[in-house]
Amino acid sequence: MSSPIRRRRDGRYVIRLDDNARQVLADLGQQLPGAMEARDPMVRRLFPPAYTGSDQTGAEQEYRDLVDNALLNHHTRSFEILVATAHADTLSADEFAAWLDAIGSLRLALGTRLDVHEDMEVPAPEDPMAAEYGLFTFLGELQYMMVEVLASELPDEGRPEGTL
Amino acid sequence: MTTRAATQPADREPVGVMPVETVPMGDLGTIVDEDLATDKPWLVIVWNDPINLMSYVTFVLQKLFGYSKEKATAMMLDVHHKGRAVVSSGTRERAELDIYRLHEHGLWATMEQSS
Repeated sequence: MSSPIRRRRDGRYVIRLDDNARQVLADLGQQLPGAMEARDPMVRRLFPPAYTGSDQTGAEQEYRDLVDNALLNHHTRSFEILVATAHADTLSADEFAAWLDAIGSLRLALGTRLDVHEDMEVPAPEDPMAAEYGLFTFLGELQYMMVEVLASELPDEGRPEGTL
Repeated sequence: MTTRAATQPADREPVGVMPVETVPMGDLGTIVDEDLATDKPWLVIVWNDPINLMSYVTFVLQKLFGYSKEKATAMMLDVHHKGRAVVSSGTRERAELDIYRLHEHGLWATMEQSS
């Protein structure tokens, strides 16, 4: 049985997911832009600092002023694409990249809210966070498969420095 | 000695005290002849985090910097085992661009000037 995620010869990506999973992605994708706008604590991982020195608060503020809107717009666009294509059987390369960005951002947000850390214990079924932890795990498995497909497209030897 | 066109944004804090000779070049900005010994490069550092997949971090390093799979994997393992790794270095402007691209991809990255 072939992987649920694969690249077709025509360059489109095939996504095999059941309707429930797709609806979950669409629902999550609709919630995150609002959380980002409101700077909900769970999205702080999407706006990390560039400068952390105590004498670099000016530089950090300049960086924030420069990039926060761009980051917000970039991720919002990815969530919009995820929501719009949540039930599509195949995705274009751009849509696939948007899914990867959106799913990664969702993992960062949920992971923050769950306080995911190394050697964390899986919440017991009766734990109120168990469902969300299940979502987090599902997103991780999806991202893992998507990265496998994309990584196989990159040349093992890399490319000359300075090229995109 | 190489000279290079460099834009010097007026609102930047000075990187350090350095003697410079500038040759105005009109609309293209200025060519700055710097004392390279005091122009220390900026390091771009990726930090370990408990959320990002190891395979994803490796993929991002390959994608953004063109590193071989082997080099990107070694860097990722440094991040994972040592807590952090330098993934690139250069001018402050270049480092900020790299930081932004890493942030865009969800990685935890900061920059500091080499000592």
